[in-house]
Amino acid sequence: MPKPLHADGPSAEPILAARALTKRFPGVLALDHVDVEVQEREIHAILGQNGAGKTTLMNILFGLVQPDEGALFLRGHQVEFRSPHDALAHGIGMVHQTRRLVSAHTVLENIVLGHPRVRGVLNLRRVAPEVEVLCNKYGFTVDLAARVWQLPEGERQWVEILKALYRGAQALILDEPTSTLTPPEVTTLLAGLQALVRDQGVTILLVTHKLPIVMAASHRVTVLRSGKVVARVRTADATEDMLVRHMIGRDIAVRTGKRSGEPGLPVLQVDRLSAVNDKGQLALQDISFSLREGEILGVAGVTGNGQDELAQVLAGLRDAVSGTVRFDGRDVTGLSPLAHWRVGIGYVPAERVEVASIAAFSLVENTALNYHFDPAFARRGLLDDARLEQLTRNILSGYDVKAPTARTRAQHLSGGNLQKLILGRVLSRKPRLLIAHLPTQGLDVEAAAFVRAALLDAKADGAAIVLISEDLDEILSLADWVAPIYEGRFGAVLPRAEADIETVGAMMAGWSAKEVRVQ
Amino acid sequence: MWELLARSLEASTIFLFAALGELINQRAGVLNVGLEGLMLFGGTTAFITAQATGSYPLGFVAGLAIGGLLGLAHGFFSITLRGDQVVSGMGLWILSFGLTTYLGNPHTGPLGLGRIASFFGLSPFFVLGVALVGITWFLLFRTTQGLAIRSVGENPAAAEGSGISVTAVRYVCVLCGGVLAGLSGAAYTLSYNPVWNYNFLMGWGFVSLALVFFSMWNPWILLAGASLFGIMWQLSLSPELVLPGVLSRYVWRMVPFAITIPILSVISTPWFRRRWGLARPEALGRPYEKS
Repeated sequence: MPKPLHADGPSAEPILAARALTKRFPGVLALDHVDVEVQEREIHAILGQNGAGKTTLMNILFGLVQPDEGALFLRGHQVEFRSPHDALAHGIGMVHQTRRLVSAHTVLENIVLGHPRVRGVLNLRRVAPEVEVLCNKYGFTVDLAARVWQLPEGERQWVEILKALYRGAQALILDEPTSTLTPPEVTTLLAGLQALVRDQGVTILLVTHKLPIVMAASHRVTVLRSGKVVARVRTADATEDMLVRHMIGRDIAVRTGKRSGEPGLPVLQVDRLSAVNDKGQLALQDISFSLREGEILGVAGVTGNGQDELAQVLAGLRDAVSGTVRFDGRDVTGLSPLAHWRVGIGYVPAERVEVASIAAFSLVENTALNYHFDPAFARRGLLDDARLEQLTRNILSGYDVKAPTARTRAQHLSGGNLQKLILGRVLSRKPRLLIAHLPTQGLDVEAAAFVRAALLDAKADGAAIVLISEDLDEILSLADWVAPIYEGRFGAVLPRAEADIETVGAMMAGWSAKEVRVQ
Repeated sequence: MWELLARSLEASTIFLFAALGELINQRAGVLNVGLEGLMLFGGTTAFITAQATGSYPLGFVAGLAIGGLLGLAHGFFSITLRGDQVVSGMGLWILSFGLTTYLGNPHTGPLGLGRIASFFGLSPFFVLGVALVGITWFLLFRTTQGLAIRSVGENPAAAEGSGISVTAVRYVCVLCGGVLAGLSGAAYTLSYNPVWNYNFLMGWGFVSLALVFFSMWNPWILLAGASLFGIMWQLSLSPELVLPGVLSRYVWRMVPFAITIPILSVISTPWFRRRWGLARPEALGRPYEKS
């Protein structure tokens, strides 16, 4: 546990302080008299669920949003940030959750973009040594001439951090910095951040909902819930359980998957499956596995390693280049998506809004998306509206979807409620095989727990489930088999008992099974 | 032969000005398919003003100004109102087509002023065009402003996060694009072919638009493409000079337009997009909303 470099008594002047920040959005009190004090040279974590007000707070600190009440103080002096420009000028930098880099440009071009000192004629040869000196100072090694799209995600993040430091940032706001990284990249990031604080005197504000990150890296934690600060603690004095209670206001029961007594009948056999991505490059190579009734295969990996292609091939949305997919002994490779639904394969796409639902449609119409081909709900080409509405109501109550009516448009549902509807509509078809791609991504802790429980119920009913997720904890708590995926290949298909977090994490970063054993 | 070449290069200049403006627009992420409309309006305004005042400079100023105004109007729809850029561009073209026909009709006929001087038969506008290509290239690839423009066209969120105003950059670019389109129209009606008649441009604006895609958003390739089209156009006017008796002149006249079809087909193929995919500004045609 890192120790805070400064005592957090009232004597130390905070580098950045927010006093009584209040922000109202139509119908929502996003922040309610929030006080935050960040001491110089500390890693200060802002912890909270989705909707707790983290994003609003962060946007105010970076000048993207102006508070309705309250004020910001920088080393005791009141400041007003009308735009990110003001924040940058005061030495506050921000690294967003999604990368804000121009992928077609080089690393160097990205770093100098918008820098006030680099004006007029752009002499990159003159700027390059400056940036290199900075790299050496902070101990980063990155090829300045490389184009950003060529870099792995972990390095892109360092490019953004470097960009902020090059602009003279003394305090960095990092928004969910670990959400797209592999476990080894997370370790590198946290070590790098601690070195920045220790050796360079940088102050870091870490905004996250991930407890292990907070516990591992921060000196102090401010916990937000429903727009209010509910706890301010030193990390050394905190426990994970206590922080969870602060975050959600009570305990939540965590269910873990148990191996069913006897394995069921084989459902899915995938043999040497390969597929190409939209750019025509081989994105999935020689994937083989089989799955029985009541088993969950957890495919663990960082997005962009072939998970999209795997899910789409299994759902019939993408053609395989080679290999076969057998479902109940029957070759389903190359069958249409509709044929996949008809034989009993259900699919929960990763893109909740873009693919899985239609925002402008009502919940009934969205339910119909998985039922329009079902003779029980569509006769002679006419949808049976009354039955569909009844079905939708059953899903709303059975899956705890909070919606005013079944005729509400999907766009008015929160992410969690929309995901419950999508999951409910797929599971109500009683699929023998379910492909669930990032089913809990972006959901708050409670909705995610609900989705996981629903998956376990489906498993108990005998469904085979392919769970594709970036959340290793989720996979380890639910899956019977774990398959780390890296650059389109499974590192191995491990029984849960042999899949520990280090092994799977290393394979997600591209280590082969053999190398991991030797380590 | 020299005369034919000089005349071809003057025709190229018309394509070049308009396409260069559109290239700057598109590098900043704004697509203006109404280029032809801006050129028609700029050309007609320049023609009427020059005829009324007897002054070429005033004519050019009027043409450039109206081009810039229409560029800003397109900017207002596509940047501020975040409307559909294709719809806005088509609207501008249709509006300009109708209005210039109405305004220009009483002026049908020759301009009636002395021709603009040339260097050994070579139009001064061609020299200006080559200079503008060099300036645009330098601006886009060797200055911080150029980096800002290209970043806004690739990833506006990244640019905004770096302290660049996406809105301001895009407005400046649509203004430049509009002024250049106006210049293109004015150069047509005041120098290349100083006679006003109905729909005098006959689709040159759309050829220029195609040229931008054909150029892979690179000003130098754009210069080559514009020259090629200018030569083809001029040949189509007098095919007997090169290939006497082969095909009707009306078939030749169709050639530059016919060539745009295979070009657009090729650049739409997956192969092309894979090979040159990074050349196309990532955010082209997409309105930007601040987060």
